[in-house]
Amino acid sequence: MDPPPPEAVYYICGDCGMEVQLKSNDVIQCRECGYRILYKKRTRRIVQYEAR
Amino acid sequence: MGVALDSSVDPPGNDKQRFTKGRQAPLSAIDMEFLAAPIKSAKDKFALVPEFLKVRGLVKQHLDSFNYFVNTGIKKIVRANHRIESEIDPTIYLEFKDIYVDKASVMSMGKTDDISPNTCRLSDMTYAAPIKVDIVYIRGSHDRKEKVERKGVTIGRMPIMLQSCCCTLLGKNEAELAKLGECPLDPGGYFIIKGNEKVLLMQEQLSKNRIIIDMDKKGNFNASVTSSSERIKSKTVIQMENQRIYLILNQFAKKIPIMVVMKALGMTSDQEVVQMVGRDPRYGSLLMPSLEDCAKEGIYTQEQALDYLESKLKRFNFSGSSSEKDSARVMKLLRDVFLANVMCQNDFRPKCVYVAVMLRRIMDAVLNKDAMDDKDYVGNKRIELSGQLISLLFEDLFKTMITDIKKIGDNILSKRSRSSAFDFAQQLTSDRITNGLERTLSTGNFNIKRFKMDSKGMSQVLFRLSYIGCLGHMTRVKPQFEKTRKVSGPRALQPSQWGMLCPCDTPEGEQCGLVKNLSLMAHVTTDEEEGPLMSLCKCLGIEGLEILSAEEVHSPYSFLVFFNGNILGKHKKPHHFANALRKLRRAGKIGEFVSVFVNEKQRSVYIASDGGRVCRPLVIADKGVPRVKEHHMQELKDGVRTFNDFLTDGLIEYLDVNEENNALIALYENEATTETTHIEIEPFTILGVIAGLIPYPHHNQSPRNTYQCAMGKQAMGNIAYNQLQRMDMLYLLVYPQRPLLTTKTIELVGFDKLGAGQNATVAVMSYSGYDIEDAIVMNKASLDRGFGRCILMKKFSGTLQKYENDARDRIARPYRDGPDAGRMRALDNDGLAAPGEIIRNNDILMNKQVPQVTRGPQISPSQLNIPYGNAPVSYKGPHGESCVVDKVTLSSDKHNNLCSKFLIRHTRRPEVGDKFSSRHGQKGVCGTIVQQEDFPFSERGICPDLIMNPHGFPSRMTVGKMIELLGSKAGVSCGRFHYGSAFGEPSGHADKVEDISETLVRMGFSYDGKDLIYSGITGCPLQAYIFMGPIYYQKLKHMVLDKMHARGSGPRVSLTRQPTEGKARNGGLRVGEMERDCLIAYGASMLLYERLMLSSDPFEVHVCKECGLLGYYSHKLKTGICSSCKTGDKMYTAKMPYACKLLIQELQSMNIVPRIKPEELEKE
Repeated sequence: MDPPPPEAVYYICGDCGMEVQLKSNDVIQCRECGYRILYKKRTRRIVQYEAR
Repeated sequence: MGVALDSSVDPPGNDKQRFTKGRQAPLSAIDMEFLAAPIKSAKDKFALVPEFLKVRGLVKQHLDSFNYFVNTGIKKIVRANHRIESEIDPTIYLEFKDIYVDKASVMSMGKTDDISPNTCRLSDMTYAAPIKVDIVYIRGSHDRKEKVERKGVTIGRMPIMLQSCCCTLLGKNEAELAKLGECPLDPGGYFIIKGNEKVLLMQEQLSKNRIIIDMDKKGNFNASVTSSSERIKSKTVIQMENQRIYLILNQFAKKIPIMVVMKALGMTSDQEVVQMVGRDPRYGSLLMPSLEDCAKEGIYTQEQALDYLESKLKRFNFSGSSSEKDSARVMKLLRDVFLANVMCQNDFRPKCVYVAVMLRRIMDAVLNKDAMDDKDYVGNKRIELSGQLISLLFEDLFKTMITDIKKIGDNILSKRSRSSAFDFAQQLTSDRITNGLERTLSTGNFNIKRFKMDSKGMSQVLFRLSYIGCLGHMTRVKPQFEKTRKVSGPRALQPSQWGMLCPCDTPEGEQCGLVKNLSLMAHVTTDEEEGPLMSLCKCLGIEGLEILSAEEVHSPYSFLVFFNGNILGKHKKPHHFANALRKLRRAGKIGEFVSVFVNEKQRSVYIASDGGRVCRPLVIADKGVPRVKEHHMQELKDGVRTFNDFLTDGLIEYLDVNEENNALIALYENEATTETTHIEIEPFTILGVIAGLIPYPHHNQSPRNTYQCAMGKQAMGNIAYNQLQRMDMLYLLVYPQRPLLTTKTIELVGFDKLGAGQNATVAVMSYSGYDIEDAIVMNKASLDRGFGRCILMKKFSGTLQKYENDARDRIARPYRDGPDAGRMRALDNDGLAAPGEIIRNNDILMNKQVPQVTRGPQISPSQLNIPYGNAPVSYKGPHGESCVVDKVTLSSDKHNNLCSKFLIRHTRRPEVGDKFSSRHGQKGVCGTIVQQEDFPFSERGICPDLIMNPHGFPSRMTVGKMIELLGSKAGVSCGRFHYGSAFGEPSGHADKVEDISETLVRMGFSYDGKDLIYSGITGCPLQAYIFMGPIYYQKLKHMVLDKMHARGSGPRVSLTRQPTEGKARNGGLRVGEMERDCLIAYGASMLLYERLMLSSDPFEVHVCKECGLLGYYSHKLKTGICSSCKTGDKMYTAKMPYACKLLIQELQSMNIVPRIKPEELEKE
């Protein structure tokens, strides 16, 4: 099985809020401020929650 | 006084004085008040408590101790070991000029960045700061030597306590803290090690360097001193056995008669010894047998005594190691080990006097049993804090580093030809200190051989279930040694605990009474400089030991003066001396925590400046008149006076437990007499942080308060302001409220800002039968409105590792179809679950793949076609519940591997079986949930949130809960928070029932809190009036969803083939011994047979009729064969549990032969 070509996914910097693009084997770091914790963006799919 | 007059109906507020003035119009009244002006109401003094907490904080003892270590202790350690010298060439050396701990920072790619604690928590780092040294050293070799001076060389990294002087958070305001992702209410005082918050608990131990007289099991009197000097720790015991007095020291194989020791110390005259002990003939007669013993041994001179001691020395197995003569060894032992706290060079006189004092104390105890010391007395205890522990650890690591450097240096220098110039400084920068500190703090195993210390579980993960639990964890005091279970002494409540350790807050069960908590205002001291204090004491008229003859030591009209356990001399006017010292302390000339204690019984003055004493602040009173006056409090209110000003102005002082014995402390000002020396600041401060949350605790039965202290920590609620930024397991309440009935402690510690519970309207009545045994009936509509709704956050994480052969883990793109597609619904294209996605049990969070070959030859990164296996990180949660991915972070760990964390959120509403509790140790589970339509309601239409069974009250006697209900009801109807602080009625910090009832009547309720209630089912008024009102209810973390478990068939343990155990392994439910007994007694034999023989681990074995051993089934011959008889002729099959077959085989393996001989076969 060939690994899929790395696709760009965007993450959000925990400090400055910039969008960061990461490829596989990239260092986990914000390009702008150098902060080392990134958050994943919320899903863009439609989600239906159960209100209880 | 003032309070009793005017605290009837007025709302307690700081402007009460003005309020009353305004209302009382008659001029004469004002004049009266004016005349009585210097008498202020006791309530005002309360303002000191928040001020104290502002200055000292709740965890100040931890911070003080750590700060002391970082600023002073570490320098002392380095000063004591400041020089490394090469043994080959003494001119080559390295000298440490200075050491300091920098601000917390992190090294990344060669440059240092400041680091915030929250970043460390999120990315599993250690919050540490570099330890830097200034050094001077000689570089070079034989002829070319140069002296080099370097500053700021990093020798390691020190984990930093949050809010300490090295922490970035120190002195930041709320906004700045919020920016750093930190909660302003967080007390600090813990460390962050590899992303985990670790607390070094306070350790309680017996005080060092003090004479403790006690009786051992045989009834012998012991005087023991645990000496601890900078160099050595030792324990010296003087024991009286059969009228004779002996010395017990580890280094001697046998007990040594004390007179021999005295002679060895140079006191050859028996008369002098007797004089030194005291001239009372009773002492002499007690000493007589010992004197005779010594004479019988024929020891009269120092030489003879030393020879005797030498013969009694413990022989070491390795001979030849002691090159020195043994008599020299005895001298050295007497000087360094025997009573190591008494420093002396070659004149042993101070030790003689010390021994004499010990003897005198023993004899006092023999003559009068009251003179024995109480080991459980808080004044005889010291509390060891985190700073001291880290200091020990650092000293060990530093010394190890020095010896290692020395060894390396000598190794290099001893080589003939050296290619490069030798450089000491290169050896300094190693990871040894960093790793040592980090490892010890994260595992909690303090194994320091140098100090003979080996204790486990010293550091604990900070309890973050609730804010209050976290505070409670920080104030916890742990016993150092395992106490014997039977003895009740150490567990019992000590009267000297008053105001120092909380009387309520202790766990139940095993650790009951051993684990304690500090009170609200208690403070633990740190070490103070001894030198200046000692010379000051000399100036105050102490006659030193050196000028005293043996006779004079215990002469009447003079008291011995002890300074930190050592004898300083004697003083003729002890009270004068003590008062002078106290005056100096109150004037701020000597440390505020120095204590002076005149012990009339022992005729001695004890001065203490050592660390680890518990103390608390008190208002000083002169002849019963407190020094704190109304204008002082006004100044405090106006902000021109701080708590420290009160201290320096001599209005307030700290007393430790010993000095409290010299004080007469009045609880309230109006109770003060002319003898009173101090007045309590506030009585509720005798309770700790957690017990302080209980309203009206003084109206409850005492064990209920203890139960509540255990439960308050389990209550769900807000944890910190930054709770949603955190990435760990959390229990949160969706709509937390502050209690309607608060206490002053609640406001002080910030529980009103980070509540853990909700004000539920409770009807105390019976309903439906689902409320027996403390179960509560809940209103369904209340649950719909959000009562007791909670959020459970669970963390999952996955790391992409690198292996020996340079292969790496990888994240694969999720399959969109195929059998696994369902489990990968939540994944994005990057193989990580996306926040907001719904996730169920066994769904995949991270589609990780692991290389199948991780060893062997290197794999270049371009080599893509190595085989991979799936190793997904999947979500494990309750079956059938849907949870949501809350947050996903990516960070890199220490080895630069990608580390991904997933926070899964699960919102739960209360269900039958969830555990709730009020603040009075009254826990109960939800018994049933009833529609609001069927719920009872009052005339005003008030419908309770929950119904509690009245049977909970009579036996528990939690009157406080009833008053809470009344107070909350009054509070909610008049729009003012009511107070229920402990012992608060006289000072106005707790509303009286009378006042509450008045408010209730004013608001149109019955004075007794009972309402007319209509039945929700029939609509008829109930026959009885129902006690109804709001009570603060906590939801505890124990929920059925986490506990409920049942199974049919399922996994089995491979060894025994029996079902697994525990919910986590989907285990079976065991019919245990007692259940078995029930079935036997009932006679349900077939049921028993089925449970034990068929349902668990049935097995068929082949048994040989001949020898009774187990055989096997041969598939070839289609018959059972006995392996010992080698035939299959006489085989039969039997059914037994697999565990039984296993037992037989295991016994066989141990050379025991169990043979199976069935009775039926025997008869044939």
